[in-house]
This record gives sequence, C-alpha cells and structure tokens, in this order.
Amino acid sequence: MNKLKLKGIADPTTNGHRPALRSVDGRVDGIEIPAVEVLRLRKTYPGGVEAVKGIDFEVAPGEVFGLLGPNGAGKSTTIGMLTTTVKPTSGSARLAGYDVATEPLLARSVSSVVFQDAVVDGALSGRANLELHGRLWGVAGAQANRRIADLVGAVGLSELIDRPVSSYSGGQRRRLEIARALVSAPRVLFLDEPTVGLDPRIRHELLDVIVGLRNREAMTIVVTTHYLDEAQRLCDRVAIIHQGEIVALDSPQALLAGLGREILEFRVTGSAEAAVGALRDHGVAHGDSFSIGARVTVPLHEHAATEALAVIDSERLRVSEIATRVPTLDDVYLQLTGARIDDAA
Amino acid sequence: MSAIAEAPSIPLPAPARARPARALLTLAKRRASLTSKTPRQIAVPLLGPALLALVVAPALKVATGGLHSHIDYTSFVGVGAVGLVIPLSCVFAGLSVLVDRHSGAQRELLAAPVRRAYLVLGNLVVAIGLAALQVTVLIGLSAIRGGTFHITGAGVGWFVAATLLFTVFMYGVAETLASRVTKQEDYVGATPAVAILPFFLAGALYPISAMPGALTAIAKAFPLTHALALMRYGFIDPSGKGLHDIWGMHNVTGEAWLSVGVVALWAVALTAISIRTFSRSAVS
Repeated sequence: MNKLKLKGIADPTTNGHRPALRSVDGRVDGIEIPAVEVLRLRKTYPGGVEAVKGIDFEVAPGEVFGLLGPNGAGKSTTIGMLTTTVKPTSGSARLAGYDVATEPLLARSVSSVVFQDAVVDGALSGRANLELHGRLWGVAGAQANRRIADLVGAVGLSELIDRPVSSYSGGQRRRLEIARALVSAPRVLFLDEPTVGLDPRIRHELLDVIVGLRNREAMTIVVTTHYLDEAQRLCDRVAIIHQGEIVALDSPQALLAGLGREILEFRVTGSAEAAVGALRDHGVAHGDSFSIGARVTVPLHEHAATEALAVIDSERLRVSEIATRVPTLDDVYLQLTGARIDDAA
Repeated sequence: MSAIAEAPSIPLPAPARARPARALLTLAKRRASLTSKTPRQIAVPLLGPALLALVVAPALKVATGGLHSHIDYTSFVGVGAVGLVIPLSCVFAGLSVLVDRHSGAQRELLAAPVRRAYLVLGNLVVAIGLAALQVTVLIGLSAIRGGTFHITGAGVGWFVAATLLFTVFMYGVAETLASRVTKQEDYVGATPAVAILPFFLAGALYPISAMPGALTAIAKAFPLTHALALMRYGFIDPSGKGLHDIWGMHNVTGEAWLSVGVVALWAVALTAISIRTFSRSAVS
C-alpha cells in the first residue's frame, strides 16, 4: 500500500481542487480515515420500494470488500449511492473522507466504477475511451499515455486497443472497462457484478485479471457479486446483503468458520424440522443446523459424519441424497436468510 | 487485509480532476468524434441545406412569383430555411442523449468528477458547430444560386446573434425532451411538433403579416419568428420589415434589440431547464 504521508501538504497533482490537509493515502493529519464509510444509508425509490434499509459499513484503505447477495438485494443501489448516481433517501456515505452528498465532485474524483452493463462509447476506439476517462479525471498527456499503455498490457488488450469498441467481445469490453476505471488510479474502485453475463471461461479469465490488478495496484476495491466463488477468491471481507439489509459482515474465512469444517446435508421424507430436532437432541447438531423444505443442513463442527449417520439410523429417519461437503458462503447465506443466493438471483 | 498491502505497487498518480474549461472541451470533443467521425457523417447533414438553397427556394420563387416587394424571394426563403435546418439539426443531436443513456457511456460520464451541466453544455457546443456549418452552406449556396444579400458588419452581427441564440434555445428544447422521454419512439414522435410546426407559423416562407390575425399574434411568441426577422434584418432587409411586423415600432434598431432579448431569454431559460432536467433524470 502506498504509505506516503503528506501531512499538511497540498497534493501537487490536484490542481488545487483538493483540501490541503488530505494526503494521497487517505490520511488527515496523519490519522488514517476509512476509504469507504457508510452510515445508516437508506434508499427508498418512488413508489415506496425500500432498496436499501439503513446499512452501515466501513472499508479500510487497500481492502477488497464484497457486497454479496442476489439480484434485487440492494447491492447496485448501494454502489449507485456511493458513486453519486443514485440519491440517498437518508444516511451518509464518504469516500476517502469526502461526503458523496455534499462533496460529490471530490468523492467522484477519488473513485472509479465498472458498471454491471456495458457503459462505453462503442463507436470510439478502446484507446479513445481510456483517454476520455483520463482527461475527465485530470490524467492527461504523457502521464496518461504511460498509464494507458501499462494497463492495456496488463489486461491483454494491446492488439485491440485502436479498434472500435463495438468490435470487441463481451469479455474484451469488460476488460477494457476495468482498464478504463484504473486510468485515474482511483483510491476506491467499484466493480458492480464485474463478471455477470460472461461465459465461465471468460469469467475465470477476468477474475485472473482482477486478481492480478489487485496485487499490483494500491487501492480499495468494493465489488458486488452474487457469485460465491468470486467473493471468496477476491474479498478480504464480505457483507452479505439481503432485502436491503446487511445480515452478516466478516471475512469469508470467519463466516465459513462459523459452520465448521464440514457440513452434512440430506433430504428427508417426513418432517425435516423433526429430523433436525432429533439430531439436536443427540448433541450432533447445534443451533446453526437448519432445514429448508425437505433438505436438512447440519454443520458438523467437532462431530464426525458417522455420528450423525448413527443418529439417523437409530431414529429411523427416512433420508436420501446424503452427502458431506466443505461449507460455502451459500451455506452462510442460506442459514441467515433461508434462501440460496443462486435461487434468489 | 489482502496481499495488496505487501505487494509492490506501480507509482500512482494522485487522483485529480479536470479543470472546468478542459472538462467542457473534452466532453465537446467526445460528442464531436461520435457525431462527425467520418466524412459521410459530416456530409449528410449538409444535404438538406443544399437542397433547400439550390432547389426549393428558387422553385418557390418561380412558382409564387416572389414577394412583390424589394426583397428577393430566393434569399427570403434561403434565410427562412434556417428555421427548419437548425431545429432539425438540434433535435437529431438530442437523439444522441438517448443513445448515450441506453447504449453509450452516459453513466461513466455521470460518475466523472465534472459538473453534470457540462455534459449538456459539451453537447451544445457541438450542436452549435454543426448548425453553424449547415447555415453557412445554406446561405452560401443560396447566394451562389442567385439570392440577393446586403451584408454589412452590423448585419453579420445581428445574423450571428440570432442564429447562435436560436440554436442554443433549440438545443435546450431537444435536450429537455430527450431527458424527459424514455423511448426513442416517443422522442421521434415529438419531432414534428417541436421542429417543424413552428417553421410554418414563424414567417419562414411568407411574412407573418400574411397569416390570419390570430396566428400572427401566436407567431410573435415564437423565438423562431424573432430569430428569422433578425436574420433577415441582418442579411437581406435593412428596413426591418419582419421586425416591424412583430413590434410595430419606428426604431428598427430598437426592435432588433428587443427581438434579440426575446430569443436570448428563451435560450437562457431552455438551457437552464435542460440542465436541470438532465441532472434530475440522470440520478434516480
């Protein structure tokens, strides 16, 4: 991370637009401020639809933070409010200390966004799209050219960069948009469902690109996704968002640790709740076991699967599709909300 | 914390933002490169003005026998055709706002550290440039085709002021409409009412005094009526008959200033409305 301190010194590259006491690594008078600070942020659309219901979170400089949830959970609305394209109903949000409502130009100057849909000028070349971003964010001339050449190489678009974007494939266009967002070296990069709509091979390629960039760029990343593997692979911390509310917030490891090392899952004929109750009575299942429909999920924690199987046998439970597996974030989501992310999406 | 904290990083330029003038120039350049990227994109908008100057105006003069006054009808219609060329040019320019919203880079621009008014003003700059080119072709070809013009320095001033202010007004109308409708079909459907109807009521092909009294009164409220009277005062009719038809005063210079004021008022109002409408519609 860029640890340069410029305490009390004006940033020479900001053309005098930025307050003097804020440094390039997000410190004010030497005190580190969050890259993203969200406080009781709420959005109610006309018609009364409550998309975001008063959420709170902070993201530290250099952190990769995920908003995980199905479509309609409020992720994109949250990103919209943070990028000043959606007006919050109440609450506040700051990017690198700049309030998105009262200092929108400064908040936008320290951030970039890659939107869920393609947002490019298709008639222009890839290079023209990148140069446009650079000029609007105050990066121009030789500095912009160097930056663009570097990023275009990093995302593997050197051969295509002077062609019209309309000739790009979906994956190439998405890579261009990621490179574009990085031209201004933002302190906060928003990636809104960066791989949605891409085929699996391109999706994995793009994740590689993001991971590669993440390891070489000193910036904070906020990524929304409903792909669990993406969240696990990219994020330092994840906020699970459900119907406009954050229902869990921790590192993926910590969220998974709550479910133990292994999960037993089976389908039962008869009452699934009774089956869970029986396993609890024998001490094999704990409070985090749950059933949805006929499917029972039992985090095993310190128990072995054979212990649970013995209880199933002794209680004469009629079960099928018995399997053990490693917990995923989907299990966390399922436990918290009663729905699978993929189903909800 | 991620590996980011320990990984070597490339030197980062500190985030900045463009100065206002530079941002406006950048946005105007973008719009220009989208609308006039190829020679064909430049040539096609000039076909209409060329046809009006070379074919329509002389043909109308022959068919109607002219105005039976000292004013040459070819040049009268040539200038009047500006009242069709500019509205159509601006309305088509407004379509690009819809394209930007649906399949272009509008959201990227909304996330940029520039005032959203500049997005409108950047488009306006290009609309003015294109309108200027079309009007130059129209008047130039009209003169070549035999139209009579009395061009003086002051006359050029009146003509340019009227053309510029009317273009600003019309682009404001187009941008406002584009920000208020969601579908291109709705936008195109409104084009005749916005761009063509006033042409027939504002004295483009005949003096407004030739229309029934009620329509003449209505025509006096249109900025196009004032703009055309000013353009003709500047280029073909130093006596300012069109201005007299509007104001009925004896001081033609005073009438000209009043008409400039009317067009300017419309231009400023519609620009402000278009910026406000765009800014509101762009943010949900």
